[in-house]
Amino acid sequence: MFDIKKIIDVLKNGGLVVMPSDTVYGLCVDATNPKAVDKILAFKERWPGKAISVFVEDFEMAKEYAVINKESETIYSSLIPGPFTLIVEGKHKLSKGIEAEDGSVGIRIPDNKLILELTKKYGKPITATSANLSGRKPHYSVESFLKTLSKKKKEMIDLIVDVGKLPKNKPSTVIDIREPEIKVLRRGELITKNVKTFISKSERETQKIAEYVFEKNKKPIIFGLSGDLGTGKTIFSQEIGKLAGVKEKITSPTYVIYNDYGKFLHMDLYKINNQNEIDELELIKIISEKEIVCIEWIEKLGKDYLAKLNKIFNPPAGRAGLKLITFNYIDEKTREIKL
Amino acid sequence: MKILAIETSCDDTCSALLDDKKIISNVISSQINLHKKWGGVVPDIAKRAHKKRIDAVVERAMKPLEIPLRQRRLPPLTKGGFNAIDVIAVTQGPGLAVALGVGIDKAKELANKYNKKLVAVNHIEGHIMSSFFNHEIKFPALCLTASGGHTKIILIRDFGKYEIVGETLDDAAGEALDKAAKMLGLGYPGGPIIERLAKTGNEKFLELPKVLRDNKILDFSYSGLKTSFYYKIKDLPKEEIAKHIRDYAASYQNAVFEHLIRKFKLAVEKYKPKMLMATGGVMCNLELRKRLRKMAKELDLEIIMPYKKELNTDNAAMIGLVAYYKAMRGEFVKNIDKLDREARMGL
Repeated sequence: MFDIKKIIDVLKNGGLVVMPSDTVYGLCVDATNPKAVDKILAFKERWPGKAISVFVEDFEMAKEYAVINKESETIYSSLIPGPFTLIVEGKHKLSKGIEAEDGSVGIRIPDNKLILELTKKYGKPITATSANLSGRKPHYSVESFLKTLSKKKKEMIDLIVDVGKLPKNKPSTVIDIREPEIKVLRRGELITKNVKTFISKSERETQKIAEYVFEKNKKPIIFGLSGDLGTGKTIFSQEIGKLAGVKEKITSPTYVIYNDYGKFLHMDLYKINNQNEIDELELIKIISEKEIVCIEWIEKLGKDYLAKLNKIFNPPAGRAGLKLITFNYIDEKTREIKL
Repeated sequence: MKILAIETSCDDTCSALLDDKKIISNVISSQINLHKKWGGVVPDIAKRAHKKRIDAVVERAMKPLEIPLRQRRLPPLTKGGFNAIDVIAVTQGPGLAVALGVGIDKAKELANKYNKKLVAVNHIEGHIMSSFFNHEIKFPALCLTASGGHTKIILIRDFGKYEIVGETLDDAAGEALDKAAKMLGLGYPGGPIIERLAKTGNEKFLELPKVLRDNKILDFSYSGLKTSFYYKIKDLPKEEIAKHIRDYAASYQNAVFEHLIRKFKLAVEKYKPKMLMATGGVMCNLELRKRLRKMAKELDLEIIMPYKKELNTDNAAMIGLVAYYKAMRGEFVKNIDKLDREARMGL
């Protein structure tokens, strides 16, 4: 579908490519080619000294250009590939203008086939700045981006990879991981407090977190959700159901205990108050026959049944993963979602 | 046509006897006493109680067909009774899977034993039709049905021709009332308790959000309202809640009903029906009935609602009435042994 060879040719010659990423359209040049980097700085009218993040294939490639210790790699491999930019200490091997004045560099390993394949084949980092002029909004279609450009600017672009309108995802979340306590420098779709804890400020953000967790676990999976009333468990479940291919409306199963949508099972243990009911209703059996399950009020299962589920589902013997997720109320609009 | 109907979709074991469209008996063995302790429908209790009660409930429903006492000696009693039945009707879904199974098993057993025709009925269709008793119907009609498990607006073009034009995106209206009652430390079922307290409460005491403001959407959403209410009262001292319990009940009930009526009215404006209907357990609430009648009057439309409480909540008479129309159309279960519950049955 994409002509990777053509993109590589353009990059090799110091060209500027407009390309879709997992978030917005990006401007890509070879981050090790000083001329190409100058071109992008000129194009964006960007203040030199402000960093430009780079796409890399994986941690291996990142480590050639930046300081990433084994510990951060282990911790962050659960977030990446994904919509995050990690700010780390640079090794000053990239062209001038890529690293910030303080020597840091933004590393992006996107959840995007085209870019991962491209970086792999190209073998060098590629700039990952969004397709816009400095200080303007990012673009979700090539058409709207081109409209904002003067004729001169348009002529600077050497290649456009147009895949039409991208979904309205926010740019990546930028986190500075140089200190033990991580700092969120820009809020993207997914906000993390630490690697296992997400912060949601709206229903949409909860949906995004659900999507992210689901994509990370593409195999049969049981989500055990716990948390108070109104912390987003149902919204999370609805989104998982949607991703599992359910076309109908997914409504609260509180009164009927569970709703079976074929591939997806939505269970709510709110009304379960007695362990006998779990056997009587054959809940464990019903769960174990499914591919993708969300169980609200999982804490009502109790320790023994939870251990039983764990045994059935978790590797090495099990065939899937049981993921426990806790939802906490922070304030009226904010929820903390812990994996 | 004599119809024996059985309904066990949730927490009531029900059976009714109909002669065409006329109710001869309508027995509801309400299990509310059993459930009170748990603050909701408890499935195993529902199942056990359904199993324990089904025979007695069916027998009670059949009682009008009994042969007068003095002739009793000759033919076996119940057998004579069942011979007079033409059709057996049963709720197939939607509902609580295990509970549905008890009614279906009983209906199959009776149909096979006495060689009767069987009609499988959708519970929601039953609720819709529950307002048809003693009323003439004009099509198209628009029906609001709200209970613990459902909240829907249904456009009815003819008997058996339904289109859901709006429904809840999350919690049902009755569930929303039940959950709020639990938050306030009140018992189960929450609806009637909240209604009683709300009568003398100030509905403007607590400000709650107006949900789904978009006038193009005919759906309902109660989870946001529930959440908002929960976090407003969560950290209040018990004495404070107790002091204003009537005001909290009134404010919450008002928000639940405002949402129901606002969306129903929008649907009426969009579909321009000739008649309105309102059914389901939540219609037991007199305040809601009053508001609905007022709305209908303003729109210059007739509104029909089940004429007594037992027809609002789950009951078998409504299942029998649906079965009557289905039997007239020849819609019987073809293979009785293969009939299975359908917990998420659509209309």
